Amino acid sequence: MHHVVSSAHILAQESDSWINTDTFIDLFWANTIGGLEYGSIYALIALGYTLVYGVLKLLNFAHSEVFIYGAYATWFTFFLLGFRPGPTPELATGELIAFLLLAVVVAMLVSGTTALVLERVAYRPLRNRGAPRLAFLITAIGASLVLQQILFLWRGGNAEQAIRLLRPETLFTVGSASIQNLTIIIVVASILMWLVADTFVNRTRFGRGIRAVAQDPETATLMGVNKERIIMLTFVVGGLLAGAAALFYMMKIPQGAQYNGGFLLGIKAFAAAVLGGIGNLRGALLGGLLLGVIENHGQALFGGEWRDVVAFVLLVLVLMFRPTGILGESLGKARV
Amino acid sequence: MTLLELDSVSVHYGRIRAVHNLSLTVGEGEIVALIGANGAGKTTTMRAISGIRPVSGGKIIFNGEDITRMRGEKRVERGIAQSPEGRRIFPGMTVLENLDMGAYARKDKDGIAEDLERVFELFPRLAERKDQAGGTMSGGEQQMLAIGRALMARPKLLLLDEPSMGLAPQYIQQIFRIITEINEQGTTVLLVEQNAQQALARSHRAYVLETGEIVKAGTGKELLADPSVKEAYLGVG
Repeated sequence: MHHVVSSAHILAQESDSWINTDTFIDLFWANTIGGLEYGSIYALIALGYTLVYGVLKLLNFAHSEVFIYGAYATWFTFFLLGFRPGPTPELATGELIAFLLLAVVVAMLVSGTTALVLERVAYRPLRNRGAPRLAFLITAIGASLVLQQILFLWRGGNAEQAIRLLRPETLFTVGSASIQNLTIIIVVASILMWLVADTFVNRTRFGRGIRAVAQDPETATLMGVNKERIIMLTFVVGGLLAGAAALFYMMKIPQGAQYNGGFLLGIKAFAAAVLGGIGNLRGALLGGLLLGVIENHGQALFGGEWRDVVAFVLLVLVLMFRPTGILGESLGKARV
Repeated sequence: MTLLELDSVSVHYGRIRAVHNLSLTVGEGEIVALIGANGAGKTTTMRAISGIRPVSGGKIIFNGEDITRMRGEKRVERGIAQSPEGRRIFPGMTVLENLDMGAYARKDKDGIAEDLERVFELFPRLAERKDQAGGTMSGGEQQMLAIGRALMARPKLLLLDEPSMGLAPQYIQQIFRIITEINEQGTTVLLVEQNAQQALARSHRAYVLETGEIVKAGTGKELLADPSVKEAYLGVG
């Protein structure tokens, strides 16, 4: 009898620690803000998935490598500027801004070029032959592995050692959250980039071309839209955004440049795109931010090893009850 | 002067022959109709002219230039615009954005603004609804939008595929009246129609298409009076 009571007691204790509501409440603000930070990086990467999916109905799995090439570009920019792994250097604000701007431009160019080459070498030949959807998907996975292995052969399996330019400093606190200079830069810059992308797609002539091809490629041709050029442009825009995301990521996780480091982030960004409604620019933003916040809270509730599980369970649940994502899928309807 | 010439054009879908050795001409300033039953190859012919369906044989000459292998979007720049079967409005774009899409290949801002005015004059309903999403409009309104959108390209040749399909009778009258008006303003029209009565009455010349081949040609009046055409397409006799 005594024995039974005590094991029930142990069970109760275990279930207490299994869902850790205390941590959840204590760290609510810290996790929310931290989640927005990660989430805005997911959102920028998610835009690349969403744009390409909208135009080609293609899940471009190699987009995670387009992103990680940007991370390497960031690292090398820092390295070639003379910075080395070790303590964060003292830099004047002007210098720091100039270096970060240079890094973001280089990262965007490298990721944009990677996306362009990927489209030309891997996908265009398939399109010209009228290959079935499945061939594109397999090619995307293959291209992802090839791009990873190129990095592996060149730089080996280890991550590049962290080079940090900006020392994280707490500016103010909100509840349990300390808002860092880094947080502000990442969240604000990401949302600005998203705004630029949204304006480009909804307000410019090329953007209208992208939406036309997404909604009805054949009729787009009847309007004089060069579909091949639009596809190219879409890959490049997605690449540029992934490059910007790469710099923000490297500021947050300076040891993030690893040959396969894009994989998990890419999958999560893809999940974010689906969560918000793939093909929908607003969905990518919403999905990214939501996923970032929810996986942080999930980690607090269930423990760190459940972090990724929470993200994907959430995805499965959304897809079960709302297959088109929260905002629905449609590049063209992003405005309406 | 001949604006468009199809010389023994054939089109295949896989091994199925949709259009066989089709030859026709459209003169500058004409309205030419292509009539025939479902599956006769009318829409396929239109798609071949616009370059969204490759031809398997023959030549397409537009304005003296061989465009048989030219990409579809280039043909728009040369002056061929189409209002396709089923209207194919961009559902997530507003009326105004749809009309802007029609002018996608153009760079002359003043000309585009002029043509927008002209389209709004022809179809006042579009002006009233310019900020509405294209996908939420009625069939008749979408048809007006599809024709207006094609006009925004300021085409030399306007291809209209089934402009009266699925429309209420009062819209059908209106659409045909506007087609005549567009033609009188100087645009050459090639028209595909199942509504043979209206099409023949409105066009200068017409071709009758059966299983991918032209079986009859003549002026609109001649064909209207032709007993076999009457029986097969006009529901008389």
